[in-house]
Amino acid sequence: MNPNEIDWGKFSEITGKHQGEKWGLIPLLQEIQESVGFIPPEAIESIAETLNLPPSQVQGVITFYSGFSTEPKGKCVLKVCRGTACHVKGGKSILRMIQKDLNLEEGETSPDYQFTLETAACLGACFLAPAMMVDREYYGKLNPIKVTSVLGEYRKDKGED
Amino acid sequence: METIALTINGIRISCPEGKSILEAAESHGIKIPKLCYHHSLQPFGACRLCLVEDKKTGRLFASCVTPAAPEMVLLSDSPQIIKHRRNIISLMMAEHPESCIVCNKGNRCQLRMIAAELGIGENHLYPMPNPKPLEQANPFIIRDLSKCILCGKCIRADHELVCAGAIDYNSRGFKSRPATLHELPLEKSTCTFCGTCVSICPTGALSTKTDFAGTPERESASICGFCGIGCNLTLGVAGNQIVDVNPSHIEKSVNDATLCVRGHFAHDFLNSTQRLTKPLVRKEKNLTPASWDEALGTIAKRILEIKKQHGPESIAFLGSSKCSNEENYLFQKIARGIVETNNVDNGGYLSGRLFLSLIEGRADTAGRFNFFAGPLSGLEQAEVIFVLGAEPAQTAPVLDYYLKRSVKKGIPLIVANPCKGSLTGNSSIWIHPSGAPLSNQNFLDTFYLELVNLISVQLLEKDATDTSFMSRFTSGYEKYKTDLLSLDQKVSVKKANLDIQAINNAVDLLTGKKITFVIGDELMLQRYGKEVMESLLNLALMTGSIGYKGAGFHVLSKENNMVGSWDMGTVPETLPGRLMINDGNDRNIWEKAWKTKIPKTKGLDLFQMMKKAEEGSLKAIYIMGENPLRSLPQPNILSKSLESLEFIVVQDILFNETVNIADVVLPGAAFSEKAGSFTNMEGKIQCFSPALQPPGNAKSDLEILGLIAEKMGSPEYENTHEGIRKEISGTLSTYSDTTACKHPIWIRERIQEQNNMDEKQICFSPVASSKETVGDNDYPYTALFESLRFHLGSGTRTEHSTRISTCDSKGEIEVSPIDAKKMNLIKDDRIKVTSVTGELERTVKINRDIRSGFIHIPTAYNHNDARHLIQLAPLLDASSNGWDSCQVSVVKVDRVNNRQLER
Repeated sequence: MNPNEIDWGKFSEITGKHQGEKWGLIPLLQEIQESVGFIPPEAIESIAETLNLPPSQVQGVITFYSGFSTEPKGKCVLKVCRGTACHVKGGKSILRMIQKDLNLEEGETSPDYQFTLETAACLGACFLAPAMMVDREYYGKLNPIKVTSVLGEYRKDKGED
Repeated sequence: METIALTINGIRISCPEGKSILEAAESHGIKIPKLCYHHSLQPFGACRLCLVEDKKTGRLFASCVTPAAPEMVLLSDSPQIIKHRRNIISLMMAEHPESCIVCNKGNRCQLRMIAAELGIGENHLYPMPNPKPLEQANPFIIRDLSKCILCGKCIRADHELVCAGAIDYNSRGFKSRPATLHELPLEKSTCTFCGTCVSICPTGALSTKTDFAGTPERESASICGFCGIGCNLTLGVAGNQIVDVNPSHIEKSVNDATLCVRGHFAHDFLNSTQRLTKPLVRKEKNLTPASWDEALGTIAKRILEIKKQHGPESIAFLGSSKCSNEENYLFQKIARGIVETNNVDNGGYLSGRLFLSLIEGRADTAGRFNFFAGPLSGLEQAEVIFVLGAEPAQTAPVLDYYLKRSVKKGIPLIVANPCKGSLTGNSSIWIHPSGAPLSNQNFLDTFYLELVNLISVQLLEKDATDTSFMSRFTSGYEKYKTDLLSLDQKVSVKKANLDIQAINNAVDLLTGKKITFVIGDELMLQRYGKEVMESLLNLALMTGSIGYKGAGFHVLSKENNMVGSWDMGTVPETLPGRLMINDGNDRNIWEKAWKTKIPKTKGLDLFQMMKKAEEGSLKAIYIMGENPLRSLPQPNILSKSLESLEFIVVQDILFNETVNIADVVLPGAAFSEKAGSFTNMEGKIQCFSPALQPPGNAKSDLEILGLIAEKMGSPEYENTHEGIRKEISGTLSTYSDTTACKHPIWIRERIQEQNNMDEKQICFSPVASSKETVGDNDYPYTALFESLRFHLGSGTRTEHSTRISTCDSKGEIEVSPIDAKKMNLIKDDRIKVTSVTGELERTVKINRDIRSGFIHIPTAYNHNDARHLIQLAPLLDASSNGWDSCQVSVVKVDRVNNRQLER
């Protein structure tokens, strides 16, 4: 999601829905993360006002959970597993290959906001090692050919837009 | 509640059910080390130092978060626990910078203390410092988060006690730190610099910014001398200076673990170079140092001469709402007993004392009811809180914390304030004028009165009255009801530009509830202050919100001893114990005690003293601990009329505007240098003892007054604290003496319970309505005078704190964006504000929360120049326009000569 394209209408629709809700912070943040792609830092104060919480507390919750991000992420978020099983099966090489292919370091987003590269401590799919996730899809038993084809799929996805 | 028994370290102890193991152990003197626990905060279980071992199972518990259970057998210092504790501390030390020698917390660092107790010196772990930039741009607090141990005390104190919400944890794991929003420096956040976090921080992560390095030599308990909350302080003393101020360690004090920016940081004035250190006598137009004997002799001689020549009525005594009860008592006794005048008042005139008299005047003579709500802790049990004309976050911040905590507990809060403030966001309903003013008129004058009237009418219409209360204890209800119902609601709404929806909502919230009122001095300084107060008293009677737990009136007092100076009779109409001057029986009580005659008629109040000085019938004034030339309106006229007096005595602690015109100056002692007692706004009397000696030749004010009485020929006047307390309690049966306890309350509150007398006593007062004001085209703007939390009152003391004067706030005039655009103003432009009586010049700041047509002028800045704009007229009087707002014109300074930009 390009940060310049934030749909503020959608944003206020979500905050409006949770106005004054008592335990509404995490559901609200999840919805914003889902539909806006990230939580714009400049929006923290209005979220806090919606739920009558101190803004510092809202920021604390956002920065605590890795599921929330204050920076815009790419359209496809890649999570490469760094768990023990994946490591043994060559996960490190898979990561290196993706880094080279996309020209991204860990935690970075491509300038066209197509890809964000992340790693996870364990994806819990050790039987598929080495594994990664793209958005909510699992890709297991990876090898260089499979990685290239998966990345190609998602690049293609961009072409169709 | 059931008591349970358990065993810790082989000692059998018992505690009420629901207590944590830590609380149970501590209440029996068993010490368990801890870093994240504080008795005022919810237990958190973060530091894991308070581990205890279950002897039966070997399990470890964090004792602060584990409830004590019956028949537990626990160990608090088994080898296993000691090992764990040492590991925890070692891990903390591995992350901690090795800067103990230069750390401001020094010997008070709890981490260091515990490390020393556990014998952890050289650490066997690989050091992993977590460097963070030192944050010290603000004048009050230094943040060095590399020393943070993540105990969360600062965050919890901020959220649970102060309710500011300026900081919270940011990030996770090793990166985690307390942070403001967007990790901005504190001065750019919502931080109020109350300093509560600094006092509660166990390490050097948060420390006070001060020139003093090291640990104070000793600590001394005291009571804060600023606002009427009466916070309990711990003064840190080094040499003959107060170097550090913290909230006291006493549990259940009014302020608990909190303070405000003034209490914490503005006590710098105690060490000011401007302190008066020797008596001064005016000789050939110059104030020259003199001996005590000469100064006191001159005073006695001149005052007695003037009394003989012009009569006692030509002499006035201005006591102090900042001085102690004992001093005020002796002061008015000298005035009434020796000089034989009732011309006695104190600075409380400016900050709510008239409201106290007004409320007391309505109370029933049988003393069955107390309109005052009593302890502030009652706010947290109130049914509904109604705040009118008060901005406690600025004037009495600790009260603001109370209100916000009450809101957190779910107590409905209604705020009536024309401006957006600290409480409006927390309130259930904020009543304010809607829309822009219709014409150039100050409709704020009518705001409070019309809104109270409307609420009363609507409650009546809904039959939401306490009829059983009224039929038993009040009279005049029928007439009041008829008059109120005949009010034209539409006219009221229009007059004050009220938001009728907000009023309806407020009425719904108030229905069937006992109301706790919080009244600020903004209301009292208002044009219709008296009428509003009378209407509120009617509303309280109508809803039976009197003599009911937590309900009644909290009159916010800006001065630490406003209530005490009133109780002690430093007022023109009452004697000590609130006994009436014009009542023969009342007077007789004190005449007998003092073995003297007391003049029968009410004396001059502060305003009348100044008026008589101007007219020339006042010849001498004795001012103790007040600075009228800075605090009263139109100081230029005042100084002329005061200078024309034959004799002025000023007894004070600092060089100030009034000292400059005095004939004799007596150096007194600040609260930290003397003993005495203050009565806070709750009515609680708190005693304090000196932390150090007065500077130079200065003397405690009570000692000075004792010497004056002696010089004036009455050496028998009691001049010791004990003597005076005994004299009062011996004279008034309602006052008792309990000096035995450590922090004694030596005057008992008046009887508060309702009893079954069915005599009707309390009258409803007539319904009042406001007049529509006509706008003045020459002065199209309404200036509102507001206090900011950095300064108290006129700023005589607070301006002597360099920390306060170097802080960001420079008293800029706040203007709405619309008016700024109209006048072509940007931030930091200079403007000239002119009223009928005077003018001032300051820079501006644009604030979106200001209503167009209004400008906000902070008081106390620039020698309190805001006072030049206000007309010196009596308060609570129909002829006065009030002291909290006035009509002004505004001109941008660099273009003054061309034309007036905005008319």
